[in-house]
Amino acid sequence: MDVLLDGFVQAVQLLLGGDAATWAITGLTLRISLTATVIAAIVGVPLGAAVALTSFRGRRVVLAAANTGMGLPPVVVGLFVTVLLWRSGPLGAFGLLYTPTAMIIAQAVIATPIVVALVAAAVQQVDPDFLVQMQGLGATRGRALAALFGEARLPLLAAAMAAFGAVVSEVGAAQMVGGNLAGETRVLTTAAVLATSRGEFALAIAFGLILLMIAFAVNLVLTLVGQRQAVPSR
Amino acid sequence: MTSRIGCRDLRVVARGRELLHVDRLDVAAGAVLAVLGPNGAGKSTLLRALARLGRHHVTGEVLLDGSPAGPREMRRAVAAVLQRPILRRGTVTANAAAGLRLRGVGRADAVRRSVPWLDAFGVGHLGERDARTLSGGEAQRVALARALAVAPRVLLLDEPFAGLDATTRTDLLADLRAVLDGLDTTTVLVTHDRHEARALATDTALLVAGRIRQLGPTEHVLDRPADAACARLVGYTNLLLPAVTGRLAVLAARPEACRVSTEHHDGDGIAVMGTVRRVVPLGGGTRVDVDTAAGTLACLGPGGEGLEPGRAVVVTVAEADVRVLVEDDPALATCGDPADVVHSG
Repeated sequence: MDVLLDGFVQAVQLLLGGDAATWAITGLTLRISLTATVIAAIVGVPLGAAVALTSFRGRRVVLAAANTGMGLPPVVVGLFVTVLLWRSGPLGAFGLLYTPTAMIIAQAVIATPIVVALVAAAVQQVDPDFLVQMQGLGATRGRALAALFGEARLPLLAAAMAAFGAVVSEVGAAQMVGGNLAGETRVLTTAAVLATSRGEFALAIAFGLILLMIAFAVNLVLTLVGQRQAVPSR
Repeated sequence: MTSRIGCRDLRVVARGRELLHVDRLDVAAGAVLAVLGPNGAGKSTLLRALARLGRHHVTGEVLLDGSPAGPREMRRAVAAVLQRPILRRGTVTANAAAGLRLRGVGRADAVRRSVPWLDAFGVGHLGERDARTLSGGEAQRVALARALAVAPRVLLLDEPFAGLDATTRTDLLADLRAVLDGLDTTTVLVTHDRHEARALATDTALLVAGRIRQLGPTEHVLDRPADAACARLVGYTNLLLPAVTGRLAVLAARPEACRVSTEHHDGDGIAVMGTVRRVVPLGGGTRVDVDTAAGTLACLGPGGEGLEPGRAVVVTVAEADVRVLVEDDPALATCGDPADVVHSG
């Protein structure tokens, strides 16, 4: 119990002290995970909306794959991305393994099925005749789609939160394709793993706390934005 | 009289099956056309094909003011109200303004132009309410106000009263009639309820299996069904076959016009012998189903209370209450009053 308490106190001191290395790790974590989430959204939102709104061949297969992908173990993703980026692998020529770019690729792969599945669910919960009704009031197809996304903004935000939460907290893929190189690819999760294995519990707890605060801050912002729009003005 | 909206050789095909084929339809400016049909007849399909909405494959021409119109022209001219009032998040006022907002009108202007329509439909006092807290009737009133606020040249109504209880529906029908009476807007109402057609429409088209079977002034179409399918639609559900009437043609009668009695007097009009199958007490009277040599007849009215199943009875209908049906032939598509243009009331 003392170990935990001491670790906690030291962690807070470390954070308040403004350790440069800690802040660098935090900044890199945010950059990688946010970029991966944005990429996943760019790929996943149109795909999820298409799955929900159209009836193309293989639509259900995509949905089933996305639902399966929501539980995709990061270690498996890390394994495949590593193989792809390996020096003698198909994409080895780019020399991306053990770089932040490799980590972004792996995390985007993890986040995309989550975005697809949750966006499809978000869009499907809007009335199936919503687009027809908007167009029946004079909206163009584009405007009607914009209205649809506006209508489903809360579940869409939830999809973004879920995707970001999944990638910022995963350790398997980040470790495998990033390599946890100090100052280059070390993120909060891999740093926490390393510190724990060395017995530096205070440091590990500090990383854990930062991770929790990031997750909380991002979710707080998204929730506030969503709720502000949900309540009618005045 | 010029046609506001119409179509020529309009066909809708889905998965290789023809859902709808309308050779020719014209509705005049300011007129209200009811499209009456059973479930699955293609009513909504016709409405969406006219508005160029939806995903079905549509061929043929939609005419606006006599000229062929594409999706862009129709989008500007048309406002639709669907069976479920699909409102967006936000206040009633914001929802009423949504149609104008979708057409690029500024927020303040859109609100200013839509609020009078909320008043016209008796929901002006709900302006600040969250649209999701409205009752079904209130929500449908907001949906109607939202559609009319864009000042549509053509208003399309897809069974907007279907989900409402009887009182709410009657009130809303009366209010909508009052609103439409003062407008130049052409309205096409799709419904399975002949009472809605009678309450709102100057003209009525009967749609069966994707084809218009009969088209003409509402009173005429509702009272002079052309064939058996049309007769069923407008409430002439009892078919009296030649085998039991001794007449040459098939006759049809409303259950309300059929009287059941235990003895037969001459001069009662048409009389058919049968036996009582069942007696069902209803609010306004009693429904007696009578088995005859050629099918079952339903009789609705007072005076059936004492009857029990198996009893031999006579069903009588006055001559004035029966309608002569022509052959049930789809080729006789406009066997009602053939009218090139549906007339304004």
